[in-house]
Amino acid sequence: MNKEIHLIGNAHLDPIWLWRWQEGCGEVLQTFRSALDRLNEYDDFIFTCSSAAHYRWVEEIDPAMFEEICEKVKAGRIVPVNGWWVQADCNMPSAESYARQALYSQLYYYEKFGRICRTGYNVDSFGHSRMIPQLLKKGGMDFYVMMRPEKHENADIPAPLFNWHSPDGSSVLTYHIPNGYARDGVESIDEAVGFLGNMADENNCDVMMFYGVGNHGGGPTKGDIEHLEKLKENGANIKFSSPDEYFTEVCASGVDAPVWDDDLQHHASGCYSATSLIKKLNRKAEAWLQNAEKWNTVACKTAGQPAKTEEFKEAWRKVCFNQFHDIMCGCSIMEAYDDVRDSEGYAMTVAATAENNALLRLTLDMNTWLDGVSETKTLNARHHCRNLDYPRPVAVFNPNSFDVTVPVRAYHPSSKVENSNHEPVLFQNVRSSRSNDSHLDTVFLAKVPALGYAVYWLYWGKEERGFYEPGIDSDTTANDSDEITIENKYLTVKFSKSNGAVSSLITKADGREYAEAENFCLPTVFDNTKPDTWAHNIFKFDEVIDTMKLQSIKLVESGKLRSVVRTKHTFGKSIITQDFILSSGMKALRVKAKAIWQEPLTILKIPFPVKGEDGISTYEVPGGFIKRPCNGEEEPALKWGDISVSSDGSRYGVTVFSDSKYSYSCPENELRLTVIRNSIFADHYSDRPAADFNYCDEGVQRFEYAVMPHSDDVDIAQTVKTGEMFLNRPVAVPCGYHKGTLPLEKSYLTIDAPNVIADAVKFCEDGSGDAIIRCREVAGKPAYAMIKCDMLDAAFYSDFYPTEIKTFRIDKDGYVTETNFLEGIV
Amino acid sequence: MKLPYVLKPHFSRKSTFFPLGYEGAPAELKNEPVKPDFSSFPLPLPSKKSDYRCCAVTDDGAVWAGASNGVTRCRVEEEKKTDRVMFFSFERDLPDNNVINIAPEGNSVWVLTETGITHIELVTFTAEEKAEILLEETLRAVQRRSMVSHKFLAKRGDVSSYLDFGHCDNDGGFTALFASGEIFRYAVLRREKGENAPETLEAKAVASRAVEAVLLLMYITGRGDGFVARSYLTVDEPVPDDGLFFKKHGGKATALETTYTKENGIAGVEIDASAPVPDRLAKLYRDEGYSDDDIIYKADTSSDEITLEYMMLWLYSRLMSGEDEELDDLVRQSARNIMSHILDNNLRLVDFSGESTMWAKWYEDYFNTPDGWVDACLNSAEVLMYLKATMDITGEEGRWKEAYDELVSRGYAELGLKHFDRHVTANNVTNEDFVENIMYGDHMLATASFYILCRLEKDENLLDIYRRAFSTWRFSTAREFSPAYDFPYLAACPDAQLDMERICLWFDRANISRLAGSVTLTGRHDIPVRKYRAGYLEAGAALPPDERFISKFDRNPLEYKNEDSGGAQCVEGCTYYTLPYWMGRYYGFIK
Repeated sequence: MNKEIHLIGNAHLDPIWLWRWQEGCGEVLQTFRSALDRLNEYDDFIFTCSSAAHYRWVEEIDPAMFEEICEKVKAGRIVPVNGWWVQADCNMPSAESYARQALYSQLYYYEKFGRICRTGYNVDSFGHSRMIPQLLKKGGMDFYVMMRPEKHENADIPAPLFNWHSPDGSSVLTYHIPNGYARDGVESIDEAVGFLGNMADENNCDVMMFYGVGNHGGGPTKGDIEHLEKLKENGANIKFSSPDEYFTEVCASGVDAPVWDDDLQHHASGCYSATSLIKKLNRKAEAWLQNAEKWNTVACKTAGQPAKTEEFKEAWRKVCFNQFHDIMCGCSIMEAYDDVRDSEGYAMTVAATAENNALLRLTLDMNTWLDGVSETKTLNARHHCRNLDYPRPVAVFNPNSFDVTVPVRAYHPSSKVENSNHEPVLFQNVRSSRSNDSHLDTVFLAKVPALGYAVYWLYWGKEERGFYEPGIDSDTTANDSDEITIENKYLTVKFSKSNGAVSSLITKADGREYAEAENFCLPTVFDNTKPDTWAHNIFKFDEVIDTMKLQSIKLVESGKLRSVVRTKHTFGKSIITQDFILSSGMKALRVKAKAIWQEPLTILKIPFPVKGEDGISTYEVPGGFIKRPCNGEEEPALKWGDISVSSDGSRYGVTVFSDSKYSYSCPENELRLTVIRNSIFADHYSDRPAADFNYCDEGVQRFEYAVMPHSDDVDIAQTVKTGEMFLNRPVAVPCGYHKGTLPLEKSYLTIDAPNVIADAVKFCEDGSGDAIIRCREVAGKPAYAMIKCDMLDAAFYSDFYPTEIKTFRIDKDGYVTETNFLEGIV
Repeated sequence: MKLPYVLKPHFSRKSTFFPLGYEGAPAELKNEPVKPDFSSFPLPLPSKKSDYRCCAVTDDGAVWAGASNGVTRCRVEEEKKTDRVMFFSFERDLPDNNVINIAPEGNSVWVLTETGITHIELVTFTAEEKAEILLEETLRAVQRRSMVSHKFLAKRGDVSSYLDFGHCDNDGGFTALFASGEIFRYAVLRREKGENAPETLEAKAVASRAVEAVLLLMYITGRGDGFVARSYLTVDEPVPDDGLFFKKHGGKATALETTYTKENGIAGVEIDASAPVPDRLAKLYRDEGYSDDDIIYKADTSSDEITLEYMMLWLYSRLMSGEDEELDDLVRQSARNIMSHILDNNLRLVDFSGESTMWAKWYEDYFNTPDGWVDACLNSAEVLMYLKATMDITGEEGRWKEAYDELVSRGYAELGLKHFDRHVTANNVTNEDFVENIMYGDHMLATASFYILCRLEKDENLLDIYRRAFSTWRFSTAREFSPAYDFPYLAACPDAQLDMERICLWFDRANISRLAGSVTLTGRHDIPVRKYRAGYLEAGAALPPDERFISKFDRNPLEYKNEDSGGAQCVEGCTYYTLPYWMGRYYGFIK
């Protein structure tokens, strides 16, 4: 054997899986103690360990041991890898989450150890988005170690080494572990050494062998280390090493690894739909923190609010921790998700508080004063909108980096709504969620500038009337006859009264019918008895049990702003209620759903069949998008999926948006959104010893989705923005009456390229007061963008590669440095 | 992508410098400066808003504002986004950056700075007029016996003070690029105006003379073995202490004493130089009164020269041959000579010692060295291109085809696919970012090689490999928005989608002189500085050519600080405008 096997001593540590985090935390402490003891006993032994969260636990609980760790890191005996907070799932977190994974952990490593990690390391994560190379590279990492999917799941992925490319041009040299991340015991190690020795020779390339008791921690045992030493004495070409050392040596030797420019799928196809709770919490917490940081930055720069950088850091660390693959993938025990819910709640409370403080503070500076308003009859009347003779100002805040026009809901009914120029806008009084007080709220069509606000004037309406004429033309109509029909200027939507499906969806611009099949949007139940929670070795969920049966269908709203059709379907003891909402000027049909699910081992999907040929499905992935074949395999994706087809020489399709789901499939031309997957918690390979099982999707859940038909192939930039808008809804904040320096409409950020958006506006982590703006190109095309942010005295141009994420650091004088996720601190 | 992209007449900046106290300047320069109000200005500004201290409004409504780092012109009505805000700075536009006051005069301005007064005008030209102006400057001030690289100036900023002498290390390669542009020019004018039109004939003369200058380097050594000189001097020119020079005398050539020859113990080495130089080519120096014995040539030639010279030979053969039999023969014979030299010497260019020169290595053993491992991806394509071009130029197959097929069978074509990944791998060893380790001169070599390979290869499999290999260079070439890279790429890969408006900014915004000038972007408020891990700095966006430094293709145009570029002490050749302009016209990419 000419080539060497690098021995990577490690302990795979799942901080949560078949145990709660408290158990995982203890496991981390014990593993480090064991590793330190082994390091003191064996001079050559090197211990590789990932996850800044684990190091931080040790630092907090056992400072003395942490000191030992620091010394060993300096000596190169403990090698931190993976500049992320945990070994995250690599499909579902947002691009911004991965930026934070790198930011908070690499800065932690830099602070504690004086170095950052060059090797990304997610050996157990179940699949990997094609954007991971960029997300690693921008986090300071050049190399990557992964294992899943393994050869039997996807034989096309090269092993042991490949150059993995992202569309922006980022590349990481990747080691695809060919035979397990946790070899222990003589027999297992001997087998691995033999196998890897052959592989090294066949590929003319050094390889790595990962050994050490894992999953519940442990690490290399005395027996393992001594056995390896003996093998070495007997002539085996092996050496104690680390991934960093391995990669550096391999690069220096001039290896020509093959190129891979796709994602790495599939291993556990069920993980993207199991346990809806964590999916929804993650999506919501990510968005809320991003938005709250934006508003905190605005309020700090323009209204003297304190920066909440430290609070946000702790909140993001919670979110990052819960992106650990066994948590985010919904395959941990039930009790663990109580903890997850609580820690996500912490993060969202931080976000909510910071956002509320910022928005209210900003409203105080808006000039909402109306002459005469202080002359109302009583103090009560002055502040209580019911009794006022004056319109109440409501500031609508848009956290997106582009202008939006969307329906916004505000408390109480109104008789008239005007924009900041006192021009009438469309509105409608709709049923509130309250059962006392007024029973109506106002929904109005707000147009709000990028990262900005617009003040609207809502004139009080009387509860008993409810309906008021907005006084301007509307494009929405509704008709309830044999079918229920709702329309706006873009769409005509019909609903079948026999099965509750969308029986017709026509785009008015070209008259094209998109819903020719009978099951468009008809909730359909699939079998889930064979797959375990992960769905090991199962890649399609396509065994239909039945469609849900229509119990009722009703046109519940028909106004100038919107029409709403409510359907109720049942299956067994389960119910799903869907409100189909078509609003004025909207190109998408929005659906608010509530499910009460009680069917064990079932899957609920919403289908969107489209007729045509040459179907291509496209999905949002973290920081980008990917096109996939329409083969019915369950695919991980973020906020949207699309099916586009050809017919009669033209292309068209439908895009489906989701507020909280991550799993789609597309058999032939039928895009399906997987909304419920009711597996047994942490059911590993479906052994299922007799028990009264708990199921990970039973009970009540609320979610939203939307359907948008389109001509041509999917317009990625527009779709990404619609998806962002679907998640980051403008917030309506009632204002008081006061004089102020701020105008009634203002934008704090301008980006002139239609395919560039800003994910983050925040303060730099080093406390300098410098600001960070992180933007990304979304359409897969180069961009030359002007980015302007007056509050930071910054306005500049930047070139973007396709799907490139760029981080700009702006100093107090508005000078801009382009850096990476580490904000120029490292 | 709609082609051709129509180039409209566009203004170019023209600065005229005057001393402080110049009486012809408007009296308003002495007035109290008026500070501009940019509080609601909608576009990025090159200076920090609070730093603007004076302004003037010209007849066209443009606001010209001065700050401590230069002058900004703002006119939001300009059609092109990039023209709405323009920046003028030391040292091509201003004598210094510290602007004290500005006075308008029609659509031009007078600018008072700390050390002088400048009159700045915007003069409108068509793209073709600009090509002619730049060519005229090159022929007047840059060319040296028809070789075109650059010329140093006796007086800073004054092109008319160009020195008569001064060779360039890569005279052969740079002249071949210039000649290539002129060959395209001739082909376009012949097609559009007819072969006997005066401008066609003038273009033919310029192109022919440039081709002769390059061919001369292929014969001037007198070695008779196909070895090509980097450059040559006459005895009246100073010999720099920079490399390996041979002085010809009586059919011999002797290595002159330089640091290099002394260190290598070869000073005074005498070699054969008896092979005749064709009269047609020797005329270039004989007409100036020099004999063969007055010639000093530079050796240790690199692959750069060979690659760029092959491009010129191939373009001549395709676009000019059939009209000048003598020159046609010389071109064909030169292609044979070089190719034979490379094949006879096991894929290397050998110097007098029989050893390969420093950089002209195309053999596999070199590819297996640490340096050669990265170079292999380019060098393999180069030698394949030489062979393919030789076949096309000579109309012969035989030995050339055998060698080509043999190299293809040994994996030379596929090596080109590894450029990007090998570069990244090498960076991983040095812990640098991609752009920190780029050899910018390689961009044009790769462009020339793959352009010709893609144009000539008929085998679909190989063509696909070459196109994909070409695209591995786009990560670092596309970001320059340089038509000299983008047009050959488009000619090689017709399905490529390019941002023609951005690329053609090259023509709109090129200066009407190639007077060099260093530019530092420090203090630019509208352009991010991009910091790489080893400390290298770049601009976060490619600036228009008149706001960045002037150089050849061997520099990074996004360089943030380039105070070392020689500044206004030098005038560059026009190639970097004329080659892409006439090539674009020839292929119908622009009009």
